[in-house]
Amino acid sequence: MKEYDAVVIGGGLLGCFAARGLAGYRLKTALLERREDLCTGISRANTAIVYSGYDTKPGTLKTELCVRAARGFALFCEELGVRYNMCGSLMVCFGERGDAVIRDKIRQGSENGVEGLSYLSREDVLALEPNIAPGVFSGLYSRDSGTVLPWELCLAAAGNAADNGVDIFRRAEVTNISREGEGFRIQAGSDEYYARGIINCGGLSADKIHSMVIKSPIGISPDAGDYIVLDTKAAGHISHIIFHEPEHKGKGLTLVPTVGGNILIGPTERPYEQDAGGARAAAGSKAKPGDDMFAGTSLDGLEALRAQILQVMPSLPVEHAIRTFDATRPNPEDKASQASINDFCIVEENDSALISLIGVKTPGLTCANELGVHVSGKLASRLGAAANPGFRPRRDPPARVRDLPFEQREQLIRDNPDYGKIICRCGGITLGEVLDSIRRAPGAVTLDGIKRRAGTGLGRCQGGFCSQSIIETLAGELCCAPEDITKDGEGSYLFSKMATP
Amino acid sequence: MAAALCAARGSGAHAASVAIVERAPALGGILNQCTHKGFGLTYFGEELTGIDYARRFARLVDTADIDVFTDTSAIDIGGDRTVAVSGATAGLLRLQAKAVILATGCRERPIGALPVAGTRPSGVFTAGSAQKMMNIGGYDIGNRFVILGSGDVGMIVARHLAQSGKEVIAVLEISQDCGGLPSNRINCLERYNIPLLTRTTVSKVHGAGRVCGVTVADLAQGGSRFIECDTLITSVGLVPERDLLDGLLSEGPLPDWLFLCGNACFVHDTADDTTFESERTGSLAADFALHGVRMPGANHGDRARSDSFSPAEALAHGGTAGLSESGEVVCCACPKSCRAVLTSGGWQGLCCGRDSPDIG
Repeated sequence: MKEYDAVVIGGGLLGCFAARGLAGYRLKTALLERREDLCTGISRANTAIVYSGYDTKPGTLKTELCVRAARGFALFCEELGVRYNMCGSLMVCFGERGDAVIRDKIRQGSENGVEGLSYLSREDVLALEPNIAPGVFSGLYSRDSGTVLPWELCLAAAGNAADNGVDIFRRAEVTNISREGEGFRIQAGSDEYYARGIINCGGLSADKIHSMVIKSPIGISPDAGDYIVLDTKAAGHISHIIFHEPEHKGKGLTLVPTVGGNILIGPTERPYEQDAGGARAAAGSKAKPGDDMFAGTSLDGLEALRAQILQVMPSLPVEHAIRTFDATRPNPEDKASQASINDFCIVEENDSALISLIGVKTPGLTCANELGVHVSGKLASRLGAAANPGFRPRRDPPARVRDLPFEQREQLIRDNPDYGKIICRCGGITLGEVLDSIRRAPGAVTLDGIKRRAGTGLGRCQGGFCSQSIIETLAGELCCAPEDITKDGEGSYLFSKMATP
Repeated sequence: MAAALCAARGSGAHAASVAIVERAPALGGILNQCTHKGFGLTYFGEELTGIDYARRFARLVDTADIDVFTDTSAIDIGGDRTVAVSGATAGLLRLQAKAVILATGCRERPIGALPVAGTRPSGVFTAGSAQKMMNIGGYDIGNRFVILGSGDVGMIVARHLAQSGKEVIAVLEISQDCGGLPSNRINCLERYNIPLLTRTTVSKVHGAGRVCGVTVADLAQGGSRFIECDTLITSVGLVPERDLLDGLLSEGPLPDWLFLCGNACFVHDTADDTTFESERTGSLAADFALHGVRMPGANHGDRARSDSFSPAEALAHGGTAGLSESGEVVCCACPKSCRAVLTSGGWQGLCCGRDSPDIG
């Protein structure tokens, strides 16, 4: 049995930041992730926005953390070596109803203590974003808003936690937790762990994990959304995050100029359903439908997005679409009343040190660090732990060769020729960067793991050119056959190893 | 890079000093993954595999006074006629040129460009990358295949799979007609009894880890059905690869010292066509470099600038004609798909001069 003071369950944004938070105390800490890599659950697919905090109700924990987080986000990203595009956001509307909402948001924002908000006339909106449909009515500008790559943020937090002594275990799915003395015995993967305290960041399974110890008062009722990603060829078409407040009820369009230079379009809002159609269709065959987390995009959703684009920004070059994806939102609900809850739910056990974050959704990405600090502080005080004076919050960013000035790049290649060999043609990403993402803890073991760390395969060929050489590089580094490498963990074999149908 | 080889040869013949920059370890480009025959009938008068076709030009380049940088990527073309290159052996360099030829080929559209819903499992490959994985990597990429799009590469991959004993359930084509050359339809699909389903597309991809099947929509009759498969190959369009021009284009019209040839210019039907065109481009570029003269008609840059070749048009360049009208027979001897007509003087319209068409 592996013994720890604190165990974090779940290697998404919340789990990695909770682990980083715990590294700030004198606690022996482990993080358990059920899959082969971190940031493979709901953290990897979302709108990638840092919200300034005008959109949430005053007096909630959400609002308190969000406003504080947004204000310090650039500094904190610099500390972790994470790229942050603090582009500001524009909420736009096309009529009286939307205008009333915007005026309300400004009032709410100032009550929340958000700075840098301003009301924009139609002309102001068009001056900032000339490609918006000319029928735009008014807008709301928010300065302290931006966008970050969720996986870059998540893996930087995990890396910083690991640098500060946190043990990260992957393929460690928690299947049972029992109380033992003052603490817990945890069965995860093929190992047992003892922990004095637990922070449960189990994402869509957080309620189930909590219920392994004591019945969770909060349940999760997920819904889903669809996104379209445009190639970097479309970069420059927008320069702010754009939220569309529709005149009719329902979800408006969001456009995000990502850190990677893409434009993200979405999300829709639709019921979450497992791949029921596929399951029915596949009945009688041995084929297995979609997994329990991402049920896949819906054709209706993708069409709805295209229809909304015509209304909000008809000139948006959707012919540059290179990718679609779906997200799952873990909406929390009170199990007794089945009412949805409009705040972050931190569920604590009175007589033991179990803290669960259940159903954390927007603005969860914005608040990941604040929540990590918050819950790790709670657990540390429960366990009577002192601050760790040796904690180093800084993490050096990996080399991003393409962004370097010529002379610096030349020197880097002279020192290490691997940085001269370009593997990913769309992203200009080198062998050196690929190797770094394998060798630097927590290292990549899958094709998508390299994508999340080095950014390969995110471009307009979507890995068509580079996948094979990355698979071969991974196999070489991990001392296995290319056939053993998966796209993104169990079952996602690329070559020959899949079960014969 | 096939175009580059020919262009370099064309330039070298004029005693210009020439360098080729190639990101792969060997010269030849996409030809190196073409293990099938059908190359060289027009140029050499004999039928070669893509690999052999490339090798002939690579050998000519070897014996000529041409600097070859393999394993080296061009990363930028500067307005001062420099090409920045990066490689593990070459390091980071700026090559100073008098003329630059872009022969970067084309790129495949990914499945994400299409309105296809569903999950994002492993086992979805573009036809070209599947071909590379099989023919250069030697990998076994699946067992039961559905092929989306009837582009030439998709059909050639379908034949290769059928020859390797794999199950190719169907080739799906969204439009009314086959997207590739008629000769490929006959040689690659009909000869192997691979169904071509027109007005049909994949509407949804299923699978958690690996692809487990696709929902196929029948656009003519309506309705859809599930087809179980473990691999989906896409062949849904080629786009000329001109990313290296982005910097130059942001500064204004393309300069006169820049030349394009091969599929970077537009998507060609055959490698032989590319060869003739590229040799001419090489020769024009050499003239320009040595004498500062630009021959009329040499500026393919106009096409790049207007970006007039949309994926649909590029596909159209691959030939979308169906079976021949009555009186004509499509010859399957080479990818040109010549339409042969029987006249009193014998068969007419065959590019290779053979007595009668190969009718499959």
